[in-house]
Amino acid sequence: MTAGLMVATAIVSYPALAAEPVRGGVIDVATIGEPPTLDPMASTADLVGIVSQHIFETLYTFGADWTVVPLLAESLPEVSADGRTYTIKLRQGVTFHDGSTMDSADVLASLKRWETVASRGQQAAKIITSIEAPDASTIRIVLNEPYAPLLSLLAFNNAAAIILPEENVAVPMEKIVGTGPYMLKERKPDQYIQLTRFDGYHSREDASNGYGGARHQYLDEIRFVPVPDPNTRVEGAVAGQFAYVDSIPVESVGRLSSGKSEAVTLKPFGWPVFIMNTKEGLMSDVAKRRAVLTALNPEDMLIAGFGSTDFFAVDGALYPDGYSWHNEEGVSAYGIGDPEKAAAALKEAGYDGTTPLRILTSRQYEFHYKMAEVAAEYLKLAGFPVQLDVVDWATLTQRRQDPKLWDIYITHSPFLPEPALIGVMQDTSPGWWASEAKSAALKAFNSEADPAKRAELFKAVQKVFYDEVPAFKVGDFNAVAAKSPALNGVTPAPWPYFWNASLAQ
Amino acid sequence: MITTIANRIFGMLVVMLIVVTIVFVIVRVTPGDPAAVMLGPDANAADIAALRTQLGLDRPMLVQYGQYIFDVARGDFGQSIFLGQPVLSALADRAEPTFFLTLFSLAIAVAIALPIGILSAYRRGSLFDQAATTLAMLAASIPSFWLGLLMIQFFAVKLGWFPTSGYGGPGTNLAERLHHLVLPAFALGIVSSALIIRFTRASMLDVLGDDYVRTARSKGMSERRVVLRHALKNALIPILTIIGLTAALLISGAVVTETVFSLPGVGNLVVNAVLRRDYPVIQGALLVVAGLYVLINFGIDMLYILVDPRVRY
Repeated sequence: MTAGLMVATAIVSYPALAAEPVRGGVIDVATIGEPPTLDPMASTADLVGIVSQHIFETLYTFGADWTVVPLLAESLPEVSADGRTYTIKLRQGVTFHDGSTMDSADVLASLKRWETVASRGQQAAKIITSIEAPDASTIRIVLNEPYAPLLSLLAFNNAAAIILPEENVAVPMEKIVGTGPYMLKERKPDQYIQLTRFDGYHSREDASNGYGGARHQYLDEIRFVPVPDPNTRVEGAVAGQFAYVDSIPVESVGRLSSGKSEAVTLKPFGWPVFIMNTKEGLMSDVAKRRAVLTALNPEDMLIAGFGSTDFFAVDGALYPDGYSWHNEEGVSAYGIGDPEKAAAALKEAGYDGTTPLRILTSRQYEFHYKMAEVAAEYLKLAGFPVQLDVVDWATLTQRRQDPKLWDIYITHSPFLPEPALIGVMQDTSPGWWASEAKSAALKAFNSEADPAKRAELFKAVQKVFYDEVPAFKVGDFNAVAAKSPALNGVTPAPWPYFWNASLAQ
Repeated sequence: MITTIANRIFGMLVVMLIVVTIVFVIVRVTPGDPAAVMLGPDANAADIAALRTQLGLDRPMLVQYGQYIFDVARGDFGQSIFLGQPVLSALADRAEPTFFLTLFSLAIAVAIALPIGILSAYRRGSLFDQAATTLAMLAASIPSFWLGLLMIQFFAVKLGWFPTSGYGGPGTNLAERLHHLVLPAFALGIVSSALIIRFTRASMLDVLGDDYVRTARSKGMSERRVVLRHALKNALIPILTIIGLTAALLISGAVVTETVFSLPGVGNLVVNAVLRRDYPVIQGALLVVAGLYVLINFGIDMLYILVDPRVRY
């Protein structure tokens, strides 16, 4: 478990340990909006994963220390000596919400659907030779080369490899039927998504462990209520209208002192990132990308974005301290904040100072915009005429697909348990970072199965990241939510979940 | 008569076709891709292209347009990309909160504005008149979302009388749902009352100086009777016009208020549809609203024809 998570978990779990969980009760959870779909294969949006993980389950999931643990699989797979054949035993007696029993035919049909529908499934499909069901309780996946991230891809809860009944694998999804502890009762778009306890749920018996282990169904109902306006979410938390309120703006944390809600901090949550267009335009030249890295002062940017050091850390490592992936390779190039030095480097790179540097951002996430403004000033000092293109999120997600339209775009991501899943690691992700050095470092990293050796190999990946600067990691930031003091058993998590949660009497 | 009606109906269809075309083009030329929004931040270009094909967004715009016109003509407004339900059924689901919100806001606006406007005109130049005029100016200048947030803080958070947002959970009855509308209706009603106060005052001032008012007074009629029976009755025509106008403005004002209070109304649906680039919903909602306006105009035209035969020619 990461140090940050351990601290946060200890704080929040203590009352849960003190009181025996009580069965019963209904909770309202305020979310940042309406999920675009309830099919978690079809979207990578966090909100889809947050809601749908209560309904659908995957073969594997992540434990509290972000290692992969079994969920619908009986145990971790048996991997052949050449690292290419994964034999997965399925749990027996697991039933779907429609009453049918899960077997390998369901898993086979679901994984085939995942390979075509889900972006992470398509990523996996490139290295999967075949998926077979040798008997009713076994699945065999054969790869064309060893690929260590496979289990993480199977465990992820967005673009997720959920298991559906064989007869329900149509696209788009027709029936919302999974094996999860809660099932969909009613969805009124933009009003609520009502989940009720699935009485036929077959929980694992091992101890609860992050997203894995036993999933206790203390609550009768969980209702996800979209409250898109952040101020209204804060007021809802202060008034005690919701048991849990996701994504509280950090500047509003002070308002949560009424006692009706308390702040839940996930520290650290993720990283804001300036993705550079390595394919076309100014940033296709590595010397200019390095100059950007030299010019930017991450501390000033983070202060603008998050206000107080309670909510961020200046940190160039791709994973913060506490993660097994954490290392300091290449990080000395980060945090220099020296526009003069950057200007000299730009001159040396032959930049004439006339072509504008186009930064694409939105105000959907206000901290993106605030960081962009500070970055723009540093980059101007370095000699770039900066053009800040501020659009709405929908426009940004479209424009970033076109390499002609931008030089840098701003986004953020939680710390993903598997580095191979990070967007910038995919050659096809906007930014289009592809190089021999990257391929070599990633190939070595992805082919190694031993976690300790992988952690060593990740140093080389991070070194290439800082050598070639496909993106600028601004730092680490924390996520803040609010919960009712009466709600116990909620562990801070990037995708909050409410099995194991209970209401005090 | 039949020719006139036929001409009007033809004109109406032309107007609707123009509206459909304008909305279709604006929605398509606005940047932003529903497929990219739906698939989430980590979706790759191939996924987005595949979803665009599935949604029919990769076809030439003219083909999409032709198909849309054909579908609309058959009464099929399409399927929401995000909600997985037909556009008309999504709109029907959102009609209730918007209808009640508009109705309540208008009732509150009128209930506040009429007495204040009348009294203000009657006591022209008094302290009450000055205070009312200032307050009306203030109310007209306050953005409804800001007033909404203030009301949430005081009545929902501090006093706990009302919920901060939403329209009730599963199984709520109408009374509980209406309880959720009290704060947004007041926020919208107070802001809208400003215009009616000013018009009522002006309109009353016009008639209070008229001869028939003086005559009524000279006959010894009570002041109350003079103001309410004689003056108000005549001042009411322009006031009713402005109330009608306010009702129309309220529908657009409700867009912001519904967003602040997370009310699942038509306004909220349209705002979300724009953010999500849910083309069929944006087109369908605007078409229905435009259709309502066209129908109302058609109804008024028909009334004119009935009332005044000269209009037929």
